[in-house]
Amino acid sequence: MKQSSQFNRREFLAAAGAAMSVPYLIPSGVLAARGRGGANERLTMAHIGVGGMGGYHLQDMKRFVKAGIVNIAAVCDVDEKRLAAAVETAGPGAQPYRDYRYILERKDIDAVVIATPDHWHAVQMVHAAECGKHVYVEKPACCTIEEGKAMVAAAKKNNVSVQVGSQGRSQPEAYLAHRYLVNGNIGHIDKVTCFHYNSPEDSNPVPDSDPPPELDWDLWLGPLRWRPYNQKYCHGVFRWVLESGGGQIRDRGAHVMSCAMWWMGADGTGPVTVEATGTAPTKGLWDSAVTMDVTYTFKNPDWVLTWNQHTGNAVPAEERTGKEPGGKISRPGYGAVYHGTQGKFVHWGGDGGTWVEKKAREWNPPAGAKDVYKSPGHKEDWFKGIKTGAKTIMNIEASVGVANLCVLGNLSYILGRKLQWDQAKQEIVGDEQARRMMGRPQRHPYHL
Amino acid sequence: MSIKSLRKAPLAPAATVLMAGTAGAAQNKAVDELIAKIKDESAKVRTEAWLSAGKVGAPAVKPLAKVMTNENLEVARAAKRALWKIVRVAGRPGAEEEKKAVADELIPLLANDQPTSVRREVLWMLSEIGERNSVRPIARSMRNDALVEDARMALERIPGRRAVKALKAAFETVPEDFKPNIAQSLRNRGEEVAGYPCQKLVPTKKTNVEPLK
Repeated sequence: MKQSSQFNRREFLAAAGAAMSVPYLIPSGVLAARGRGGANERLTMAHIGVGGMGGYHLQDMKRFVKAGIVNIAAVCDVDEKRLAAAVETAGPGAQPYRDYRYILERKDIDAVVIATPDHWHAVQMVHAAECGKHVYVEKPACCTIEEGKAMVAAAKKNNVSVQVGSQGRSQPEAYLAHRYLVNGNIGHIDKVTCFHYNSPEDSNPVPDSDPPPELDWDLWLGPLRWRPYNQKYCHGVFRWVLESGGGQIRDRGAHVMSCAMWWMGADGTGPVTVEATGTAPTKGLWDSAVTMDVTYTFKNPDWVLTWNQHTGNAVPAEERTGKEPGGKISRPGYGAVYHGTQGKFVHWGGDGGTWVEKKAREWNPPAGAKDVYKSPGHKEDWFKGIKTGAKTIMNIEASVGVANLCVLGNLSYILGRKLQWDQAKQEIVGDEQARRMMGRPQRHPYHL
Repeated sequence: MSIKSLRKAPLAPAATVLMAGTAGAAQNKAVDELIAKIKDESAKVRTEAWLSAGKVGAPAVKPLAKVMTNENLEVARAAKRALWKIVRVAGRPGAEEEKKAVADELIPLLANDQPTSVRREVLWMLSEIGERNSVRPIARSMRNDALVEDARMALERIPGRRAVKALKAAFETVPEDFKPNIAQSLRNRGEEVAGYPCQKLVPTKKTNVEPLK
């Protein structure tokens, strides 16, 4: 497969028409319907949230501008400094906004890339879908069970293509691992154990203060209940606050467990029980579990998924030359072990860097071996979804399923008890308090 | 009644009082110990204390609320986390009496003489516990400008018709500019509200950043 940076428009369109091993959302005759431009039209794109991963996405999107696939028409951020930098990156023609709803009002914009903090994902994705925009939204898809339900419903009702940023599924070595596992090379897999290092503790807590002048704190909070600004909320460190970021499990869990659900053929399924334990930080604003162990029990078929968050528990990384499809392993501290009846299989990373064991990379499929979907690249796969209606590799149903694992793990940790989950009804059973915590009332007017 | 039981009968009330006194003393001791540890200089001791607060339960609610405004931020934070732990433990399945006891202790903390930061937190705690008898006190909090939005959200979450009725009643009395907020809560609870359309897609905030020419 060619590197994405060499992927030109003709190749993209060729790829978009090929490898349709996943079901269609709409018949191809609907091309050029609302927001679904014809094959020769550029997509008009807007970026909502342009710091951190949002900054990466904006920069990355420029290769598709060069390839003639998209135009960048708007950038948006609640931090004026970040917004000013994004205007420079996007170049002439990109209109800056603080309030993403101005973007949704624009009829010329086909699609949005949402890379805001987690607590905004669901609200902005649902709003964008309701305005007919296709959406690439960062992972995790949602912070609550109810948000996830709303996201799935909005995508379906408005017939928009949604890709969630668990891009591990689109990595070249992920394809090799998937193919290796589904062909039974380690036998029947009944356990997947994810490993990850600790969430950090705040070693230097600071009191609440006024927000910096460039930051619209009210808009940053959005759906969350109001509270005074504290430096330890943002920017990237929102990750360590349970309410907004959910800790390592909601960050990397949305990658590593995404690979597990994909490779186990478990999209659309869910656990019957979730039980978590963990250690709490001893000071500071951040309240995510420092260490954490979560066990998800699946039935029919029966298997167990665990999330084990302990610094030092990583499987030692494989020696590499750098010439492998994924190159050298730059983030060996997280990944998963697949336990089969005929052996084990290890991968490291699971996000933009996904590295798998040599035995999977070098496996030559015999005649008659099963093949699996090979993503042309995470954004390319999304564009294909937009143009053709094909379901994306990290579609909203699958993403919400993975996010629910993260959410339920944290809920069990917070409540200190085992939870029973009804996958068909998408709800916790037998625990009224936990059921109320499946949703979270949102501030007006930043609500679903 | 047997002779044996007749002999015991006059002693029963006294024994009950004695036992209650002993239990009360033990309870007070547990609360005092918890508060002392929550105020401890050691972050480790504070953390172990708030993690174990669920065992102490309702009697610790008011003493902990007082510590929530301690000038030492980490002590205040430990007290808040202890209170949340009590709420989460009391809300477990099958602990109806504990849950009600905790709600009964939390409700007075919504009074006007309590600090706003404590009242705001208590609104959310009550919304998780979901007791019916918390509806009226929460609704009264809607008269406070600093709490009205949190109180609205708390009511939105509490199950049952009483919470919906309270939202409807508030809708009639709140200032005009807050009616859309309550209208949204009522819609979330399945009610129809005329005249106050959803504003979630209405942009309001402009940037000062200019596009490149």
